[in-house]
Amino acid sequence: MNSVMNRKSVYTLTSSQKMMIFVLSMSLYGLSNMFTELIPSLQLGPIELSVEYFAFIPLTLCMLFHPFYAAIGAALGEVIFGELMLGQFGGLGEVEKFLTFSFAMYVAGRLVRNPQNRAQVGIAAITGVIIHQLCSTLVDIGKVWIGVEEFEAVPGLAESVVIVEGVSFLNDVLFSGILFALLPTLYLVPRLYGKIEPLLGIKPRKKDTQYEAAGIISPKLVLTGILLALLAFGAESLSETDWNIAEWDSGWADQAGNTAIWLSLGIAAVIAVIVLLLMRSRKTRQGNTDTGAGGGVPHA
Amino acid sequence: MELVRNWFSKFSLDRIQLELMNTAYGSGHASLSRLDPRGLLIWYLFFAIVPWFVNSLTVLAGMCLFMIVTTILSRVTPFIILVLCLGLIGQVGWLFIISLFFGGDISSALPLLKLTLKLSVVSLASITVFSGLDPEKISDGLLALGIPAAFSFSLSYGYRILPVLFEEFRNVLLSYRLRGKAPSRPGLLHWRIGVYYLKLLVYAFFPLMLATAKRSRTTVEALETRGFSYGLNHPDAKKLKLSHLRFQMRDVLFLTGSAAYLALLFWIG
Repeated sequence: MNSVMNRKSVYTLTSSQKMMIFVLSMSLYGLSNMFTELIPSLQLGPIELSVEYFAFIPLTLCMLFHPFYAAIGAALGEVIFGELMLGQFGGLGEVEKFLTFSFAMYVAGRLVRNPQNRAQVGIAAITGVIIHQLCSTLVDIGKVWIGVEEFEAVPGLAESVVIVEGVSFLNDVLFSGILFALLPTLYLVPRLYGKIEPLLGIKPRKKDTQYEAAGIISPKLVLTGILLALLAFGAESLSETDWNIAEWDSGWADQAGNTAIWLSLGIAAVIAVIVLLLMRSRKTRQGNTDTGAGGGVPHA
Repeated sequence: MELVRNWFSKFSLDRIQLELMNTAYGSGHASLSRLDPRGLLIWYLFFAIVPWFVNSLTVLAGMCLFMIVTTILSRVTPFIILVLCLGLIGQVGWLFIISLFFGGDISSALPLLKLTLKLSVVSLASITVFSGLDPEKISDGLLALGIPAAFSFSLSYGYRILPVLFEEFRNVLLSYRLRGKAPSRPGLLHWRIGVYYLKLLVYAFFPLMLATAKRSRTTVEALETRGFSYGLNHPDAKKLKLSHLRFQMRDVLFLTGSAAYLALLFWIG
């Protein structure tokens, strides 16, 4: 609370405000997930016009509030409402979805400096969708590339996965991305700005608002993003071992190479992320003690 | 869009809401829900991970059978089973059709059958645990296994709040429909109707976001008056909260029974 008084421009939240953003984002996006699971898709030949997700909800919330809590909340909402309650929980593969989705939404939220600037909001919204879809498409195609020996056993399966992924990427960006991310976000963000924040007892963001010191410096943001993607990839390729047609025992020898590589990569990524987080928290602590001397150096 | 109309006539929003209520509140009476949540969660973890690494068709089929039995025991609503089946068809059927298109034949159905079995074992296990148990019990079980309190709370909160939010959403949607004007002509393949409904669906989130913001503030305030964040930082509070969890004879029987069945399966397979 004191830091709000000390430095006006820093966007500091109490722990209950963080929890409010988290709960809000989780329940809204979770609810929308129920609908997107139920809306049937329209097939036009190979092109599938499906409502993949209502990305406008997390995008809007990430732009209006602290993007970190909104993004994590939305990703958890998807896991709880869209997966666990409906029995669609895929186990390890969900790790990848969770990470890529919250990462993409976080970046989109960070891109916006002024929520009333429509150009910024639009660019951030579509960028968020593209980052998310690109990550998941690359992960999926990468899995095929890893399991290519096994794939030759089934003719046409490898190509079909690439085609399915490519088409669904275009579909998600052009159809869902424009209709259910770009346009609704452009409609909602300026309308909700200044109205929804007071309901949670939070001041609306201003152009010069900086996030609190726990905010991320951009090279670090990029690095963390890459590491998270790697971790997600490792988790997914482990969970996709269902692709091997060979018996698990006999295929172990050549399988072990790949699995071990990805396992170690995944572990390395986890360790790297933990180290980064530790470094950041230490920096935050130092930053708090330094604020008296350091003055108004922007942290983000 | 004929499909859409059939869909909505069969699954009216009323009915979905009822089913959701049933999932959220009606799960206390199932026979599995008397078991200790920690044991069940560990049991779930096994069935969520191990099927991916199993390739014997016999073992997978046996596991699937076991999962069907536990799903029936946990008295899951038919609505959830239907969503599960649709999801399975969507995930596997489409892949099969395309692999036929690229010169695959019926032999590519066998690995896909395995994939379907694996997917259904994993999904049914998660249905058994997460839809059959009391949400508070799952949440306590997760907390006991060391999941952060914000997450385990969100799980039980999500279950409880969903029917309420759903009703609120319906009211907003209905009021929009009352005030608005549906397209006079349906257009080719009812596209006008589809666009109209999708637009309403998006517009309805504007008031819903404001209402949910108020609700989440009330929720967090209520949590704070009960010392939620105090409990987060004090292990004693957590201990007290979880003291009602007890490992009993039936938990031991259930877990050893499952283990024995699996051992038998692996021995055969």
